Amino acid sequence: MNDTNGFVYFFGCVVPNRYPGIEYAVRWVTGKEGFNLDVKDQKGFSCCPVPGIFYSTDKDTWLLLAARNLVLAQEERRQILTVCNGCLASLLKATEYLQEPKNMGKVNRVLSQIGKKYTGIAQKTEGRRKIFEPVKVRHYVEVMAKDVGLDEISRRAKHPLKNIRAAVHYGCHYLRPTERAAFDDPNDPVMIDKIVEACGATSVDYEDRLDCCGAGGGVRSHVIELANALTQDKCQNIAAAGADCIVTGCPFCMLQFDNAQKSFSKDGIPVMHISQFQALAMGIDPISLGFDTHHVSAHSFLRKVRGS
Amino acid sequence: MTDKEKEVEKVFIGGLHEKLVEDKIIEESELDLNFSKEIRKYGGKDVMTCLQCGNCTGVCPISLKIAYKTRIIMKYCQFGLKKYTLDTRWVCATCYRCYEHCPADLNPAEVMIALRHIAIREGIIPPFIKTAATNLVKYGQSVKPDPEIDKIRIELGLKPIHTHDADYQTVIREIQVLVHASKYDKLIGIQEEVKV
Repeated sequence: MNDTNGFVYFFGCVVPNRYPGIEYAVRWVTGKEGFNLDVKDQKGFSCCPVPGIFYSTDKDTWLLLAARNLVLAQEERRQILTVCNGCLASLLKATEYLQEPKNMGKVNRVLSQIGKKYTGIAQKTEGRRKIFEPVKVRHYVEVMAKDVGLDEISRRAKHPLKNIRAAVHYGCHYLRPTERAAFDDPNDPVMIDKIVEACGATSVDYEDRLDCCGAGGGVRSHVIELANALTQDKCQNIAAAGADCIVTGCPFCMLQFDNAQKSFSKDGIPVMHISQFQALAMGIDPISLGFDTHHVSAHSFLRKVRGS
Repeated sequence: MTDKEKEVEKVFIGGLHEKLVEDKIIEESELDLNFSKEIRKYGGKDVMTCLQCGNCTGVCPISLKIAYKTRIIMKYCQFGLKKYTLDTRWVCATCYRCYEHCPADLNPAEVMIALRHIAIREGIIPPFIKTAATNLVKYGQSVKPDPEIDKIRIELGLKPIHTHDADYQTVIREIQVLVHASKYDKLIGIQEEVKV
């Protein structure tokens, strides 16, 4: 068994600075009014750092910055609870790199300048040897589906969203690349769909549902027309399936869907994080979910939710 | 904007047709024989083992839209035709579909990432990289904190963004030490003032 006590929140950059409603929803769902998980705040975290910028330009710097974040979780002896695919991919990859003694030594030589050392979390001692396990990095979706459980989610959904047809978007870095043992099938993921259904809603199938939103890898920042063209394809398929909303586990995909839709359509399909969707089913007042900060209006969607 | 930056900015729409490399007449003087070595150095270890089956192009969401075709880029890298890879460095969405579908289990996405490493070291640095890196050393986050969002955070009952707090300054200092130790600040040319 893993000897770690609970989780530590890792919200990243996009959630606190662009979609505070997600942060509120996650805190609410994991907190006292929700599933009462043992999650702590850690103020010292920085950007994960974002793979499209740092992993793409200098892997040494990327690993140093990621290791610094991992050390903070290691000191707390807690698992990292991330709500973003980008943070998941970046931190998870960093723990894998740090499994190499050569990389770990190189990183620790620099980290010593700031008085930190990455070892992983000490689990037990075998004779004179201490056994360390890498810091665990978990996605919100995984924690919900595995640790909380779908039955519990469905039991706590006091206001099942019966009328709602949701289109689930997983996002590329949810499971790819599949070098590691994944918590969901990389080529046919089901977890977000199952959570959506546990909330009482219908998860609609649509064409090319595993396609990229277009934002990742710096494409959104560099050639926004190209990113938007990809989003347009996705949105057409989603609209054709008659979905009321897009539900995703990644705030960066959400940012792209939310911002890009105005470039090709007047109304657009409201998009939200899975935590916001869950909070709605659990009976939160929608005003706390910060839908005002979204570009695509969620009014008609919320009217339909009230009708559920 | 410098010429080099303009070069990176250029978008090229090419549609669905894939032009084979054989259509081009290649001069020996165009070949950069160390190119593949350089790519391998930055993590694109699979570049020389690609057998050009084209599965990567078939599943690439970007190849569907523009003249960028993963298979062709792999071929250019093998030949050392550096100049043809100039435009393509920043259009990969790193979705890793090419890697998932490669029958030889190669990772073209890592080759594209290696191309970015090379571009940065040649001074071809897109503005958004500078902005994000500067935000990180100033605020500890790649996204610049927004005072309007802070108002909403308070309305929702969340704490305001803590990047300006006195105790967060040690975190920012630590980040600066790390970025300086890996010489990233010099590499990117991190600016003093940042725009949104």
